[in-house]
Amino acid sequence: MKSKAVEIENFTKKFGDFTAVDNLNLDIYENEVFGLLGPNGSGKTTTLLTIATVYKPTSGDIYVYGHSVTREDYVVRKLVGIAFQDPKAMWIDKPYELLTWHARIVGYSSSEAKKVVQDVMELLGLWEHRNKQFYQLSGGTRKKVELAKVLIQKPRVAILDEPTAQVDVLSKHALWDVIKKLRDEGTTVIIATNDMFEAEKVCERIAIIYKGKLRALGTISELKDSIPSGDLVEVQFEGGGIPEGLLRALSDIGRVEAGSSVLKVYVEKGEEKVIDIIELFRRYNVKILRIMVKEPTLDDVFTYITGAKLREES
Amino acid sequence: MRNPSFTSNIRSILLVASWDLMKLKNQKVFLAMRVAWFTLQVLVFARAISFIVSQSILEYTGGVDYYYFYLLGIYTSLIYSTSISRGYVIADEFDDGIVEYHLSLPIKRGVFAVGRVLGSSLSTIIFTLPMMIVVYVILGVSNLFSIIVSLISALVFSIGVVSFVLLLVFSVKSTDLTDILVGAIDALLVRLSTVFYPLPVIEASGIAPYYVIALMNPISNLADFLRILVFPEYYMVFKYGVAPIVVYMVAFSMGLLVLAIEYYERKLEAGGWK
Repeated sequence: MKSKAVEIENFTKKFGDFTAVDNLNLDIYENEVFGLLGPNGSGKTTTLLTIATVYKPTSGDIYVYGHSVTREDYVVRKLVGIAFQDPKAMWIDKPYELLTWHARIVGYSSSEAKKVVQDVMELLGLWEHRNKQFYQLSGGTRKKVELAKVLIQKPRVAILDEPTAQVDVLSKHALWDVIKKLRDEGTTVIIATNDMFEAEKVCERIAIIYKGKLRALGTISELKDSIPSGDLVEVQFEGGGIPEGLLRALSDIGRVEAGSSVLKVYVEKGEEKVIDIIELFRRYNVKILRIMVKEPTLDDVFTYITGAKLREES
Repeated sequence: MRNPSFTSNIRSILLVASWDLMKLKNQKVFLAMRVAWFTLQVLVFARAISFIVSQSILEYTGGVDYYYFYLLGIYTSLIYSTSISRGYVIADEFDDGIVEYHLSLPIKRGVFAVGRVLGSSLSTIIFTLPMMIVVYVILGVSNLFSIIVSLISALVFSIGVVSFVLLLVFSVKSTDLTDILVGAIDALLVRLSTVFYPLPVIEASGIAPYYVIALMNPISNLADFLRILVFPEYYMVFKYGVAPIVVYMVAFSMGLLVLAIEYYERKLEAGGWK
């Protein structure tokens, strides 16, 4: 059985009358890359900051390796490292000074600190920027400085709040490799992101949070399978239009979107339904030029789950 | 054998204190402004005011020239205003989210509070050192004991003021309110102190609340302590003695430091900054 790195139990956080997180229950396992997905203001950052003991729960509790964030906050902070969504530095700070101070604070000796800071800065391509002031750095470089803090600390639980926002595409891929390496070296990684591609690329399990509540939880394939009519069968056909009878017959299989030369059918278990669809096209003498079965993307899952909740609530 | 936790806490306090010291070199403009203000006070205003009141006040200062009396008052108010200006630095840090970062670091909150107060107080002493040297050169103070005790007493006083300002900033969590409160407290405390006038003069004025506030004012206590240290003749007209001042200053600083530690440990969390 997998051991739990983080247990979130009935966690609620309120700011005045506003409930940012509402009775959240969630387990994050040791040595996995776990994704927290949700639109802006959904409660992701509040949850992460509470795990890092920066916020205190209004009710409920969070345990990191069995230690409560409310009663053993110091022990939790020794286990957790966080790269914030907004890089934390004053405009006149210099990355090297800031990271060296951070390294000393997390326990390195003076000489060790210099070495580890240089190693991490070189790994992230920050070394040439080491003595610039923060206001001279691009948004992406500032994010890398924030990530460098976690890489220096090598915590048992690393929290990365939108780690690649504002980072260019090439650097994103490099950072994803760095995150996976961190996991390979024994760190449990929790990522909050709005970037579905990033989540698919890096995360092993995902929780979707919306309006402070947990809406879905599972591996990426579990989430994809969880939405009805999740697969898409896309048919490119010859001729001008689809006969009414064919459309009616296809509607019995799944939801149909028909264009002038392309028809889309949203179905469950597309690989099985594709045979029926081909058979219907043959029966109505409509020639198929190309047919494809597509899985839903995480984007589709996210849109479906948050959209469905929105529809339910309205 | 030393307790490893104690050693670790001392290490953490010193490292946290180094945060403020690290930032000190970035405040060159602020230092230049303070030096300019101070020079103006010492060379122009202090000279002018002492010319006006010098003779009439000698009986209340034990014969100490009012110019010298006033210089130690200015130095004290400088220590106070530099300590209280840490409030603006911390408010800026809150604004920029640095407080969130600090709260996430693997350090006990109480230890962090002590480190922050110590760092800010040491920064204050370093920051005001050039002005102190100017004052002590003008006063002709060469006694090493007096200089060291002056520095220690200034540090103790600064610890109290910085602890107070930390409590204030974190309680109100507002840049505007911090500005207003710090400005108002600054205006009241400096004016209702013995920075400008000796305590016997204030007592002779017959305004009881003014006298009581000046007597209990931490700024008065530091200013008078420094005066007694430098001018033994001032001690002769100071009827309350040195011991109550020392006890008061230590109690003031340690009391506020303990409150700041308690607040950091029990109540402080990020968010809610206005």
